[in-house]
Amino acid sequence: MPTILDATSRPLRIIVSFVVGCGLFFGGVCGASAQGAIDGRILFQQKCSTCHTIGGGDRSGPDLWGSMERHSQDWLIRWITRPDLMIAERDPIAIELLEQFKGFAMENVGLTEADARAVIDHVRAETATTAPASATQAPPGGYPTPPFGGVQLAAWAVFLIFAGAIALVFGWVWLSTRNPQDVDVKRAYAVRRTFFFVVASLLLVVLGATLQDTPYAEADTKADRIVYVAARQFDFVYSLEPIVSTGDLANVLVVKRLELPAGATVEFRGTSLDVNHGFGLYGPTRQLLAQTQAMPGYVNRLRVRLDEPGQYYVFCLEYCATGHHLMQSRLVVK
Amino acid sequence: MRKANTHTLYWIGITLVLFPILVVLGIYMRTVQFGQLPATQSWFYPMMTLHGLGMVGVCYAASMACAVDALRRYIEPSGAISWLALAGTVAGVVLLLVSVFLGKFAAGWYFLYPLPMRGNWPAWSTVMFLSAITVLGATWLIWSVDMLRAIARRYSLSEALGWHYLAGRTEPEVPPLVLITTVSLIACVACLVAGVIALALSFADVLGGVRSDALLMKNLTFFFGHVLVNLSMYLGLAVTYEVLPEYAGRPWKANKIVALSWNTVLVVFLAAYFHHLYMDFVQPVVVQYIGQVASYISSIPAAVVTLFGALMLVYRSKMRWNLASILLFVGLAGWAIGGGGAGIDSTILVNMKFHNTLWVPAHFHTYMLMGLMLLVTGYFYHCCQAATELPEKPSFHNLVILLLMVGGYGMLFMFYLSGAASIPRRFAVYPAELAHGAGYAGLGALFAALFLVGLIVFFVEIGKRWIRAFRVAV
Ligand code: HEC
Ligand code: HEM
Ligand SMILES: [Cu+2]
Ligand SMILES: [Cu+2]
Repeated sequence: MPTILDATSRPLRIIVSFVVGCGLFFGGVCGASAQGAIDGRILFQQKCSTCHTIGGGDRSGPDLWGSMERHSQDWLIRWITRPDLMIAERDPIAIELLEQFKGFAMENVGLTEADARAVIDHVRAETATTAPASATQAPPGGYPTPPFGGVQLAAWAVFLIFAGAIALVFGWVWLSTRNPQDVDVKRAYAVRRTFFFVVASLLLVVLGATLQDTPYAEADTKADRIVYVAARQFDFVYSLEPIVSTGDLANVLVVKRLELPAGATVEFRGTSLDVNHGFGLYGPTRQLLAQTQAMPGYVNRLRVRLDEPGQYYVFCLEYCATGHHLMQSRLVVK
Repeated sequence: MRKANTHTLYWIGITLVLFPILVVLGIYMRTVQFGQLPATQSWFYPMMTLHGLGMVGVCYAASMACAVDALRRYIEPSGAISWLALAGTVAGVVLLLVSVFLGKFAAGWYFLYPLPMRGNWPAWSTVMFLSAITVLGATWLIWSVDMLRAIARRYSLSEALGWHYLAGRTEPEVPPLVLITTVSLIACVACLVAGVIALALSFADVLGGVRSDALLMKNLTFFFGHVLVNLSMYLGLAVTYEVLPEYAGRPWKANKIVALSWNTVLVVFLAAYFHHLYMDFVQPVVVQYIGQVASYISSIPAAVVTLFGALMLVYRSKMRWNLASILLFVGLAGWAIGGGGAGIDSTILVNMKFHNTLWVPAHFHTYMLMGLMLLVTGYFYHCCQAATELPEKPSFHNLVILLLMVGGYGMLFMFYLSGAASIPRRFAVYPAELAHGAGYAGLGALFAALFLVGLIVFFVEIGKRWIRAFRVAV
């Protein structure tokens, strides 16, 4: 007996199987991502690094360098798994910390006890191998605003002049409509021809002047020092031996405090162990000196001469997820 | 009175709703960067993703809607596909909202591979996000192809591209609108194809675990993003060529120079996308140079033909200034200023110091916000005003323009200043070493709020006309 259901059953079956398929698929994907051994470093990056650093100074939460030694293991596990509960129970340590952080409460990020243990181990291990935050703390009163200089200043000036000129021309044309009059099209075309030659020759001159001085042209010069840089979510790892993959990390000597001689031409060989990052080198006045991308599967060679002695800063210049703005490092030129 | 097209009215409605919401997200981001609202910090990157992709999508769809509306004088797009474009865009936006709000997806607007698969958001939100892009991409591809089909029914391809002008003939007369739209649509098909390949490879990774080459994906992604943003701009210019003459009372026709200029644009601006990969030193060096040369060359037709032509059209004309014509006029200025900022950054030497600093959002916000968005809203106002002919209040309208200009350029000035001061883009919070970035962010948020006030007042003005026109049309 033909029913309405029969007539629609084919499309219906397709829809039902599509929906079921999607359900299975999402279930599978979510299940798959929940499996595997617990990695404290990854958990820390994903769940804690938006608010905490280990040795990088306070963020919205306290610097965790050494904090594992300040509390009992039991307290730590309870705090990390259920901070909301402990604040509600008015745990004295929790309340004191909360006051220190002006009432901004730590989030419950949904870790299990085993997760918490893995994170605690990771923080302990990092504390043992990195310098404390006091070595990298901001000066009292904060850093002064850096001066403008070099290419940045020149580009800024060119831009202001250009934008001003455009504004003036548009203003002038706008005012001209107050006393309308026919324009001589022939003359306008003659002006346009001149304009074309002016613009074209200007561009040619700038091309000629700037294309000689690109970062690629220096590929055949010799570097005094080679430093390998591996970027990963969310830090930079330095070594004097090649790093290409995560496996290399166990086999090379990692340089914790990078010091380079003043006046040396240094070649940074940058790669990434996960997503795209940017290796942005800032000078002692915290202006960008040079940069290159750090890309998985490739090695970019960035050559810079580090003339000025002092503290240099490295920031990540390619967005790489939640901890992007925390991804930074330092080096010293002596 | 000129009855408004129903589809266009729907697009205007969608834009009037989405645009202010996305602007609020922009103000929110500047506020977080100023150090306020710390408790919402974890929403910064999801909102950045939504704002960026949402804005680029609104700009593209709105400028396409303008071009389609203006083209209806000459050609006839398919009714069914016009509905599909609306429905597909809305469906894509819904998927996008779910992925960002429920899944906190935050890979940035161009979701550079392999970040979508390696973030701290759940895998389902990545699939949802990629599905959203697939729906939008497929819809827009069909929309573009249908428009090309409609153009081809009236003009041959060589006519639509103005090649007969190049050969010295002046017949048949092809309006610049048709010429520029054809150029844009061809570019659009190319860019969406690149987008589809990048999407397919992303799906292969998230579903099948098949890894792709990061450099290949970067090239595909930036080709897609660069072309999509630029062609939206060109569509905005195309309707300006069509409408500004009505207000100036003078013709603005295609000729040999105009045809030559837009054909040059088609070839050159595609090659200019290499300027996004200057800092990938493993790219072949020759394409880096091509990137800078192509970027520089593409400024010549823009400045010498389009800008000069527009200024010549208005110079000493009996211009009828109202909200529509003023917005089109200042929109052209914004496009030019943003182009200057882009040109500076497309110099490899400078890019070394500006790449991924706030100079990048600075220049593209100049030509998208103070350029394209003003062209598009100017055209929308033009449609609604023509359909209703309500009385206009010039002094009030000048106030609206003043608010938009002071707010918009104030906000942009803070972006440029931050860029020149080496403040990185896409930092939710600035580290102590770059704390001066927070001050610029605070001022930027204030100016942006001023812009928003102007925008809301303007939208009330256009909204009144929109409701009337809508009642008549539906
Ligand atoms: C939303 C921000 C946020 C996140 C995410 C977060 N915390 Fe916290 N954490 C805080 C704040 C704020 C405090 C200070 C106490 C308070 O105000 O609640 C704190 C305090 C702590 C303390 C005590 C530190 C001390 O100096 O005694 C530890 C340990 C800690 N957090 C560990 C973690 C771990 C491990 C994670 C990741 C699983 C984590 N936190 C995630 C914000 C956060
Ligand atoms: C007043 C209006 C606007 C404000 C206040 C605003 C603000 C912002 C801010 C603060 C950012 C993040 C900057 C950073 O990287 O740190 C941003 C990014 C962005 N904006 Fe806007 N914006 C506005 C309008 C627009 C418009 C009209 C467009 C149209 C295309 C747009 C497109 C984008 C894009 C593509 C990004 C990059 C997102 C990413 O990096 O993934 N914005 N905007
Ligand atoms: Cu990063
Ligand atoms: Cu580009």
